[in-house]
Amino acid sequence: MRDTVDKDAIVNKFMTAAGRLVNDEMQEWLNRGGRIIGTYCSYVPEEIIAAAGFMPFRMRAVGSDSTELSDVYLTHLNCSFVRHSLNMALKGEYGFLDGVVTTTCCDHARRLFDNFARKESFPFIGMLNVPKRNTEFQVEWFYQELLKFKQAIEKQFHLTISKDRIKEAISIQNESRRLQKQLFLLRTDKNPPITGTEALAASVSATAMPASKFNALLKVLLKELPTSGGRKNYRARLLILGGILDNPQYIKLIEDQGALVAADSLCFGSRLFWENVDENEEDPLKAIARYHIVDRPSCPHLLDAREKHIAFIMDLVDQFQIDGIIMERINFCDNWGFERFMLRNTLKEKGIPFLSMDREYLLGGTGQMKTRVQAFLETLEGDL
Amino acid sequence: MIVAGCDIGSTAGKAVILKDNEILSCAIASCKPRPAETAEITMREAMAGAGVSSLNEFDWIIGTGYGRCKIDFANDNISEITCHGVGAKAVCHSVRTIIDIGGQDLKAIALGENGKILDFAMNDKCAAGTGKFIENMARSLELTLEELSIASDRAKNAATISNQCSVFAESEIITLLNEGIEIDNIAKGVHNAIAGRIMTLVSKVGAREEICIVGGCAKNEGLIKTIEDRLKVKLARFSIDPQIIGALGAATLAARMVLKKNIPGGS
Repeated sequence: MRDTVDKDAIVNKFMTAAGRLVNDEMQEWLNRGGRIIGTYCSYVPEEIIAAAGFMPFRMRAVGSDSTELSDVYLTHLNCSFVRHSLNMALKGEYGFLDGVVTTTCCDHARRLFDNFARKESFPFIGMLNVPKRNTEFQVEWFYQELLKFKQAIEKQFHLTISKDRIKEAISIQNESRRLQKQLFLLRTDKNPPITGTEALAASVSATAMPASKFNALLKVLLKELPTSGGRKNYRARLLILGGILDNPQYIKLIEDQGALVAADSLCFGSRLFWENVDENEEDPLKAIARYHIVDRPSCPHLLDAREKHIAFIMDLVDQFQIDGIIMERINFCDNWGFERFMLRNTLKEKGIPFLSMDREYLLGGTGQMKTRVQAFLETLEGDL
Repeated sequence: MIVAGCDIGSTAGKAVILKDNEILSCAIASCKPRPAETAEITMREAMAGAGVSSLNEFDWIIGTGYGRCKIDFANDNISEITCHGVGAKAVCHSVRTIIDIGGQDLKAIALGENGKILDFAMNDKCAAGTGKFIENMARSLELTLEELSIASDRAKNAATISNQCSVFAESEIITLLNEGIEIDNIAKGVHNAIAGRIMTLVSKVGAREEICIVGGCAKNEGLIKTIEDRLKVKLARFSIDPQIIGALGAATLAARMVLKKNIPGGS
């Protein structure tokens, strides 16, 4: 009996953590004098931040309810995540951070950097250049960017980030990635012991807790979870595809219509943990550069990687017996707008049913969303 | 076998009662703030028309529309997209594309030859091209919906309304009125704007003939003619009220479910 309690307690812990900005594990870290650096993109290497002694925290705007302060600087044509996040920053709700790092992956998030820099909102404000192609030349280029990034942190906080510390951080992050993948793969089962909602909560929690703490929790969960015997009688197995979806309630809304979200390719999902950083490489920064530019499933920011991303999706479709794909996108997201436009034809050619849904960062318009998902499931089921 | 379909939309509730696949009665009622209340009023009216005195007399009832989960007396619910597909197919066998102009959204639905839904597209994040848009524009022109339809038919030189946003479009209409543009021409401009929106949506799912329009706005002949001009096709006309197609689809599905249940070994 105690096993079930542990299992449910950890799942609940992840659900709670995903629904809040600051979770218990983070608070404990802060209480012990730990410092945190926020990152706006999955291409910011957590390993360098962790090696410097900080907890990397993937930025979310959970709990935001308005954009009245940020709309002074941004427009209604900006991504609503960016607007909510800047609004939270201007309200001082990210006061627990010692720094933030954005990347060049997205023009909307770059406006965050502009505004943070102008207002000197955080002790450390970084912008990481991420190349748009994935040849050897770009691996070398990204390596140079990572060196600069490491040096900038060293200079700002008067510390040295040793090679060994980076290797140690890689090892911990790799463990986190392996464990998360193990959890993810449970949904290949016909009656998986976890839902898509819970799985997203776990991978969001991974970005918001000290990695060793998260790994310990997930290890217990994996030990306690059976490999099967979970959800049955669902109407279809879906894959959800898109960008910075960090809200498990969005997945829950889909699953409440009778679907099982069996897999994802999301910025807070499988793309973060499908591959590992090479621990045998002598220069750990080189390994990190190669991991992000060549090895891991990429985001649409990388122009050359489409074929590979399509292959990744098709593998998931086979492995998780996917009946249909939901492609989500935050309004005005350029990267995913173009990607989705091109993917439409690919999926049509391959005969995979899909549904496109635009959304705002905050979950709203749920009536329309339910109608779409329900209608999509009805079309998957065929004749009524 | 007596079954019913109840379609609770954003603006109106619709109900259809079928007896052995023939329409016994139908009803349309304006929405109350609570969908459960709208459903009850609409259903009671349809039951009175059919001479059905108790809900117990129904073999099965399907709810659809935005209020579908709030219909207490329904046995099951199915999305209005599927219901419109089934309803339109029931009254127009050759239909392949359905345009649904509802109160709060606009949908285009593509059907296969067998009536299976192949694809659908929805415009649901703003009022552009919806029934609400038409109502607002008519109000700015101080016309009823019927008058808007007639005025649009009379237009010689349609005004251009470039804004899809209903709030901005209303300001644009005020500017046109201030410039002395004839109301008929503005009315036609309003319909052109909606037809443009519909064209985009229909093109997304592929405009295969035969094409039909369902929903309350399908009664606006001025709008239908404008859409026909824009799409360069003749739209199918129904022998029954196009506003009840969703409820008819729900009732048809209810009848199918009853039959399925009676088949030995069926679900």
